[in-house]
Amino acid sequence: MKFLSVINKCTREQIRNFWILILTVSMAPFFVFIYYLILESSKPHYDLLILNQDNGIETMGATINYGDLLLQSAKEFENDTTGIPLSIRKSDDKQAALKRLRTQKSDALVIIPENFSKVIHNPDMVNDTINAEIEFIGDLTNISYMVSAIWANEILNQYMQGLTQENKPIIIKEISLGFSGNIDDFDLVVPGILILSIIMLMLSATVAIVTEVEQKTIIRLKLSEIGTFEFLSGVSIVQIIVGLVSVLLTGIVAYWLGFDFRGSFWSLLLIAVLTSISIIAFSLILAALTKTVSEVLIVGNFPLFLFMFFTGAAFPLEAKEIFTIAGYSVTLPGLMSPSHAIIALRKILILNMGLKDVVPEIIAVVLLTIIYFLIGIWAFKTRHMKVE
Amino acid sequence: MNINKTENNNTVINISHLTKRFGDLVAVDNLDLRIFQGEVFGFLGPNGAGKTTTINMICGLSKPSGGEILFQNFSKQNNRNIRAQIGICPQENIFWPKLTCREQLHFIGRMYNLSTGLLKKRTTELLELMGLKEKSNVLANKLSGGMKRRLNICMALIHDPEILVLDEPEAGLDPQSRVLVRDFIKSLKHDKTIILTTHNMDEADRLSDRVAIIDHGKLLSLNTPSWLKKSIGEGDLVEIILETEKIQRADEMVNSLKELCKQVKFSENALIIKSKGLVGLIPGITEIITNHGNKVMEIRLRENTLEDVFIYLTGRKLR
Repeated sequence: MKFLSVINKCTREQIRNFWILILTVSMAPFFVFIYYLILESSKPHYDLLILNQDNGIETMGATINYGDLLLQSAKEFENDTTGIPLSIRKSDDKQAALKRLRTQKSDALVIIPENFSKVIHNPDMVNDTINAEIEFIGDLTNISYMVSAIWANEILNQYMQGLTQENKPIIIKEISLGFSGNIDDFDLVVPGILILSIIMLMLSATVAIVTEVEQKTIIRLKLSEIGTFEFLSGVSIVQIIVGLVSVLLTGIVAYWLGFDFRGSFWSLLLIAVLTSISIIAFSLILAALTKTVSEVLIVGNFPLFLFMFFTGAAFPLEAKEIFTIAGYSVTLPGLMSPSHAIIALRKILILNMGLKDVVPEIIAVVLLTIIYFLIGIWAFKTRHMKVE
Repeated sequence: MNINKTENNNTVINISHLTKRFGDLVAVDNLDLRIFQGEVFGFLGPNGAGKTTTINMICGLSKPSGGEILFQNFSKQNNRNIRAQIGICPQENIFWPKLTCREQLHFIGRMYNLSTGLLKKRTTELLELMGLKEKSNVLANKLSGGMKRRLNICMALIHDPEILVLDEPEAGLDPQSRVLVRDFIKSLKHDKTIILTTHNMDEADRLSDRVAIIDHGKLLSLNTPSWLKKSIGEGDLVEIILETEKIQRADEMVNSLKELCKQVKFSENALIIKSKGLVGLIPGITEIITNHGNKVMEIRLRENTLEDVFIYLTGRKLR
């Protein structure tokens, strides 16, 4: 009954502290949006210029220009290949094309020579001295040139193969692991940001507890018949709900911006609830170390920073293994429960794995949560609930 | 804290050899007190005298360094936790700013395991008694200072405690609210044991059955207000403020005055003289003062008050 009353009280207070609630739940969706903008604007794109100097040939009363046909074929390649980050432009002036290269507006220039049609049309005349020399021009130290040149080469090969009607002796087939073939950078950061939305609870949960100390209402609670565990559990439930609302909003924004959710919703919910409990448990430690809301905002920034940037929440992070337990890698960031939750969410949401595939991560989160809770309740009781 | 329930006369709180140390500082020094059932017990002392520390130990918010506090003779609800038998209205208003008056009382009542029916009844009663009925659904942080104070008293009483601790209950109240609170405290007399700490001597005099004056953690005097007033001498009291703080031949002057009236107390630049028929003695008193090279700035003649007792026992020095 007392537990329910604490939930009721905290819910009312949380709703009436409208701005704190809004800021807490909107931070992570905002992050998703920022990441989307950053990743969209930084997506690689390659610009290929083709200058056709081919004179063409007269045959059977008509002029054929194989260079124009190559250009047409390149355009078809660009249109037919879905999601290709390549633009193909036709250039009519070599100097203008070179200027575009120098100013990095284009990455590679392909020049089709004057005798291109002549050589294609009369393959018998080809020898060591007579052939069509196609020039590839660009900054050889620039990775964008290399990628553009590879594509140009591919376009050329396909065109030549079409003309010569030769069969390919080798076909290369790419097979993606899971859905990795369809995953872009945005997809990779979304699981981390979903957990980040829960990490943002750290300050609001700590403030919800420390406010009782600062406004001295903790004295009323100490004098009453409520126990520390009962009180803290009531506060925690409300914060878990806030955390889930935050995850939901973050998920909706991510979906709206194109994130393709895979895996089970219930698995996502389970990981979100466990992580919320874990963050709140950690908040108890923080609440035990502080006495005022301003102290929370100063001291709390340090663990918040660690949890945000060293767990892989804000961006994917490769941590160094310290040792392994039953084949499960233990890393330094692994001491922070969100790092395991992020791994679990990546498996569920990106690789479409099931709950049984993330059992080690779930065990790690639960164990760390228990440790945080035990330390937190002991420290809070000793610091704020003890009779001096 | 050694809290035991024992059956013994009508003592509710029996404090013996109570001591509290904070490092080298002895805040409460070997204090012995008995507080009786149904009385209003005034607890007076200058700032830093040890009142709040003693109250915190009584309420269970602080552990004594030595001695013990025995709780006994609770008239009802004997099985309840000792802490639940105490209601405290602290000096500063303590409440949840984002809860309404009614929500505050409901929440704190729940923390004391009150049933829904009883809680609703007591909330309505208390809000009405304290003149807060119209403000039941107003957030606590939107109340005026006086209303917040009254809400604080309601919160101390919601669980119907046996012992009510009121720390400066009239602080910050306007005259109307002061009368309301005073009448309310009077109405609780006999039903509850009330411990009242205040700097308002008039309030303590009017409300208290017995008054304890402590300073430097020690009990200086404990008795009824009328006894305490008599204890510093029967008759009138004259307070003479001298013009300068550099008093000429002070000891000599005091000795001369003592030949005229037995009770003379000198502190800073003030003389407090107590005697019967003081009006007739005033010319002689002023002559002695003048003869010793001092000038009288102000003379106040009146009956003894509790404040005189307080100043007499604790001195005029600022804390």
